[in-house]
Amino acid sequence: MDLGLTEDQEMLKKVAADFVKAEVPAHQMTQWYKNKQVFRPEIIKKAADLGWLGMMLPEECGGAGLAPMDCAVVFEQLGHGPVPGPLFTSGILSAQMIFEACTDAQRKELLPALCSGKSIVIPAIADKSAYWGAEAVETRLSKTPRGYMVNGTKRFVFDADAATSFLCAARTEEGKVVFLLVDAKAPGVTITQHIGFMISMFEVRFNNVAVSTDNLLGSSGANWATLENALDKALPILSAYQVGATQEVFDITCEYTNSRVVFGQLIGRFQRVQDHCVDISICLDTARWATYEAIWRIEAGLECRAGVHEAKATASDGYYHGTNYAHMVWAGPGTDYSHPMMAHSVLAHSLYQYLGTPGHHKRLMVDALYPRA
Amino acid sequence: MDFNISADPPQVVEFRKEAAAWIAEQFKGHEHLRWSASWSTREDDDEYKFRRGLAEKLGAKGWLFPLMEKKYGGAELTIDHQMVLETELFKYGLNLSHTFYTLARIVAPVLVRWGTEEQKAEFLPAITKAQICVWQVLTEPHGGSDIANCQTKAIRDGDDYIVNGQKVMVGHHLPPDYLWTLVCTNPQGKRHENLAWLHIPANLPGITIQHMNLMMGIKNAVFFDNVRVPKKYLIGGENNGWKVASTHMELEHGGDGRIAVDPLIERVVEYCRNTHIDGKPIIEDPRVRDLVAEMTIELNTLRRFNQLIYWCRFAKKPHPYGGPQQRYFQRMLRLRNGERLQGIMGADALVQNLSVHEVIDFEYAVRTGPGQLHGGGTLDTDRLIFARRLGLGRPTKETAPETH
Repeated sequence: MDLGLTEDQEMLKKVAADFVKAEVPAHQMTQWYKNKQVFRPEIIKKAADLGWLGMMLPEECGGAGLAPMDCAVVFEQLGHGPVPGPLFTSGILSAQMIFEACTDAQRKELLPALCSGKSIVIPAIADKSAYWGAEAVETRLSKTPRGYMVNGTKRFVFDADAATSFLCAARTEEGKVVFLLVDAKAPGVTITQHIGFMISMFEVRFNNVAVSTDNLLGSSGANWATLENALDKALPILSAYQVGATQEVFDITCEYTNSRVVFGQLIGRFQRVQDHCVDISICLDTARWATYEAIWRIEAGLECRAGVHEAKATASDGYYHGTNYAHMVWAGPGTDYSHPMMAHSVLAHSLYQYLGTPGHHKRLMVDALYPRA
Repeated sequence: MDFNISADPPQVVEFRKEAAAWIAEQFKGHEHLRWSASWSTREDDDEYKFRRGLAEKLGAKGWLFPLMEKKYGGAELTIDHQMVLETELFKYGLNLSHTFYTLARIVAPVLVRWGTEEQKAEFLPAITKAQICVWQVLTEPHGGSDIANCQTKAIRDGDDYIVNGQKVMVGHHLPPDYLWTLVCTNPQGKRHENLAWLHIPANLPGITIQHMNLMMGIKNAVFFDNVRVPKKYLIGGENNGWKVASTHMELEHGGDGRIAVDPLIERVVEYCRNTHIDGKPIIEDPRVRDLVAEMTIELNTLRRFNQLIYWCRFAKKPHPYGGPQQRYFQRMLRLRNGERLQGIMGADALVQNLSVHEVIDFEYAVRTGPGQLHGGGTLDTDRLIFARRLGLGRPTKETAPETH
């Protein structure tokens, strides 16, 4: 048993923390989130130079060949920003999906460009927001004499504005879910930002988009189980990012209780205010240790699926509820879109939904632990 | 990062076989008494006798305190050996902490920290070998969580203290050998500086113990009427009781850590598989599955909090708010699980005298939800200490008292 970080991981943590301080200072980050312009190509370029796109991929694919925990350490720090952009969507989820699903030739063609940031591949999975799973894939893939035609509308596509291509889930004429790459600039692709209490979420419409048969992942487009295998590796990294973001919310909130004076004293003296901080801390540490344990299970080669769902559920729950508790402390000032709390609030709500709600993942966790008859 | 609690290094591979075989031997004929994982105040004499007996046998081998020096009743083994014993014991729903109706797990480390060499030599072995039962005797009728406002007086008279006063809501249904307690040596003295810690033989003249029937089970009121306690039972020196109390409370309030797993969820699932409604086991019911999910995650969280504290304690890493965090979370979790159990199994969760032994624990789990919200200080004191350790509203963060 050793619940500490290795020396190398401590170093990665410091590099990532310094990166966040230098590249994503709070005042600037707040403006990006406020103006809903969070894709910063210059940041993604710098991150790519540090090897943070495709971190878990082997070096022959252009990746950094890092272990999941190393990667989680970096993403936890990125969450402190919260650093926006497709570092997770393209650099982790699409990277893992392509790695899991593709032939060697496809890997060599696709992954080095993804790792250098030259191509940004954004997953576009569900058509319906009310559910996460194969059942929510409705986009149709129809055969044409020269390949395929894609028709459908993806909702809640995270980081779609950064995409050079989409990793699109579609249903064949036989009803099978397959995955294919669709060029973001192809005729018939329209990207519209969702407006509301969320960030970086888009509707992506595919209207008679022609694609080649070569665009299918692997030899036959893979299947939902391939995505589940990729998610086993990817979700704990997203969880680590949410843990870092929750830690940031906790840190700035505790600091605020030691500077804000009302009724003639620091608000940190009020037990009701202390209680809110205690509650954030429990949200945070619940998520943190569920995430770390899931990653340890992956690294140790143990059955990990239940733990992965638990990590995603607790990290999304923790960021969401932790941020809400923080709002109780910050009160009015925390509701201004020019305040860092609002960046966290919209992100917490977005990630609560992204790739399935906590409730959904809790059910999948129980299904993994105690399969239904 | 490595969460493995059974990654046996070569030097303990044989020890695990030895421990497993030995524990299996002890459980022969007592298999029905497994799963009594938590320190409980249930009034079950069979369980009590078996667990006291098992503790004494473990103690005789030095296995209750494997890390401790042999002269104090330990076995001078390594943390790896201790983890073997913990993990083998919890195959039977037991663990080295808190399971044997004595507070040895708390009292012994406090004695190591604050006792004189003579006191350690005299008092420790009987405790670490589980030959005696020690009660923690802190709460007073008017004190509640404010134990520093201690009214039980111990006034020095030559080489003795004369103790007068009353403690309440302590112990369990069978009597103690020693009373481990905080007393006031000078009612006019400054708060926190007028206290002493005593390890009082329970058979001294003037001590009366009366049962109290409480939600959590049988507890007791202890009356001290001019009890003459020789000064050799003073722990930590004159007027140093608050410091001793701080170490004691840190260990009691979650700071000792555990690597044992709460078997509750497995038993709930077993119940759900064996209980059929309309021909189908209730584990198939989506409503039940959602409740199982919530219980699973929270019990896993508690296990991880405990494991982290355990690791920090033995790897000597600071984790100042770990104890109060664990304790507050555990109490709220018990309360929530009480309701979840009722949601899953209906009125079965409230019945104590069903024929299946396991079900008794469900009732106990429900009852101790509200019943254990305050033992050893209310959950509000947990949050208060938590906030101090986080440094909220104060210039510095409070550090945790030493526990090792």
